[in-house]
Amino acid sequence: MVELSEVIETNEMVSSENLDVRTITMGISLLDCMDPDLDACCAKIYDKITASAKDLVSVGDEIALEIGVPVINKRISITPAAIVGAPCCHSPEDFVKIAETLDNAAHKVGVNFIGGYSSLIQKGMTDADRIFLESIPEALASTENLCCSVSLGSTRTGINMDGVKLMGEKIVRTAELTKDRDSIGCAKLVVFCNPTDDNPFMAGAFHGVTEGERVINVGVSGPGVVRTAISKVRGESFETLCETIKKTAFKVTRVGQLVAKEASARLDVPFGIVDLSLAPTPAVGDSIADIIHEMGIEKCGAPGTTAALAILNDQVKKGGIMASSYVGGLSGAFIPVTEDSSMAEAASIGALSLEKLEAMTCVCSVGLDMIAIPGDTPASTISGIIADEMAIGMINQKTTAVRLIPVIGKKAGDSISLGGLLGEAEIMPVNTFGCADFVNRGGRIPAPVHSFKN
Amino acid sequence: MANRTVITLVGKDHVGIIAAVCNYFAENDINILDISQTTVQEFINMMMIVDLSAYKKSFPELSEDLDRVGERVGCTIRAQHEEIFNMMHRI
Repeated sequence: MVELSEVIETNEMVSSENLDVRTITMGISLLDCMDPDLDACCAKIYDKITASAKDLVSVGDEIALEIGVPVINKRISITPAAIVGAPCCHSPEDFVKIAETLDNAAHKVGVNFIGGYSSLIQKGMTDADRIFLESIPEALASTENLCCSVSLGSTRTGINMDGVKLMGEKIVRTAELTKDRDSIGCAKLVVFCNPTDDNPFMAGAFHGVTEGERVINVGVSGPGVVRTAISKVRGESFETLCETIKKTAFKVTRVGQLVAKEASARLDVPFGIVDLSLAPTPAVGDSIADIIHEMGIEKCGAPGTTAALAILNDQVKKGGIMASSYVGGLSGAFIPVTEDSSMAEAASIGALSLEKLEAMTCVCSVGLDMIAIPGDTPASTISGIIADEMAIGMINQKTTAVRLIPVIGKKAGDSISLGGLLGEAEIMPVNTFGCADFVNRGGRIPAPVHSFKN
Repeated sequence: MANRTVITLVGKDHVGIIAAVCNYFAENDINILDISQTTVQEFINMMMIVDLSAYKKSFPELSEDLDRVGERVGCTIRAQHEEIFNMMHRI
């Protein structure tokens, strides 16, 4: 029988520690929407998405009410658009039309983001991929809820440096086209190494081609819950610290598992995975940096930060894996600077640098995330930063990503505000020494020796 | 999810709080399976486990009705499926 103390503990987590389920994401395959005629393709896409996800938002809200835990976002991921649009898109404008169709479908069903305006070019680019990449800036500028991701490398294939170079340019162009809104287009554009096919989190969610017709993936959260739990073991050994994180992660993940199973049953869509990520929000206390502070680091970015983050990431996985029947996605701690108010503050007082963030990405999920950089940063420098991050992912056999926002017209130290969950921050300085000759070599970086496992 | 639901009530203690909640349950065919309660200083913290098998209305309606009862007696009352607590606190 449930005990009063357990009920109070759970409800405290919700009311004062920001426990929530961050997202229910429905993956929808659009492979059967491919058509040589653009209008026919768009019509099929719109019809399939609006039919598949018509009850997604209401079911999410219903479950939240019944269990008393908020389900913050309801989202959709789709088969990478570069594949779906290949037979009918002969110009970037054609792909933009698909982008607008996706955005309209998202509005119709009431989800706040739709991901999968994506291309997988970790080894090479088809003609359709090239046209698709050209369309990205315009697609992001002319839509509201569309998220775009591009895979540029993997441990098995190496790094597509032609793609890296091109994406540096596209990020700058996207920033320019949305410069009236602090270059917000770049907040919806991420590049990956070793992306996952079942990630429920934006901006990187897409429905991989090996996935089924439809799937329900759930992303949990709860940095505030972890921080409160470890605030009760101040000064105790690492053994106690790790056990505490593990137990808390177990509880948080159980909520995700329940929501995923319920949503799957009510929508009659198979359950895919629970993503064990700790995702911060700009709300006070809902911060990864605060957890690091609670562990004993004065400010996020100080020596010891990487070790603290490594502990957090590993213990969250250890606790979460047993709590869910299927674990997947990115599963780890996120460190998006603008979305984490304490991390943004650490950056603004000089405790946290871009280089330290890069080191931190070696031990947590994802990578350089939501970092505002000066608007005059050359595209080649952005490509250099991407190449570094892709190399970390490739060599360490993990997912890494880059989501940088070059804020046109602003310089290091200026502030930006992106609104809502995207948060605000000061612009971080970037190393001004160049790497254009390196980036301009062209071709691809071969796969590392440890990828040859056969 | 099963029909077992956890009702929690928090507020300043006075005569008739539990009576008001129980009356609502009686009028709506909700069977009480378990009650536990603590009162710290003048604040009451109460939990009930109830069975909704015979309840005719929907869960959102239950939630709204309890809000109304809560307003009348000056307490916060919420209903949640028992499953959330079993999932979090039991292996």
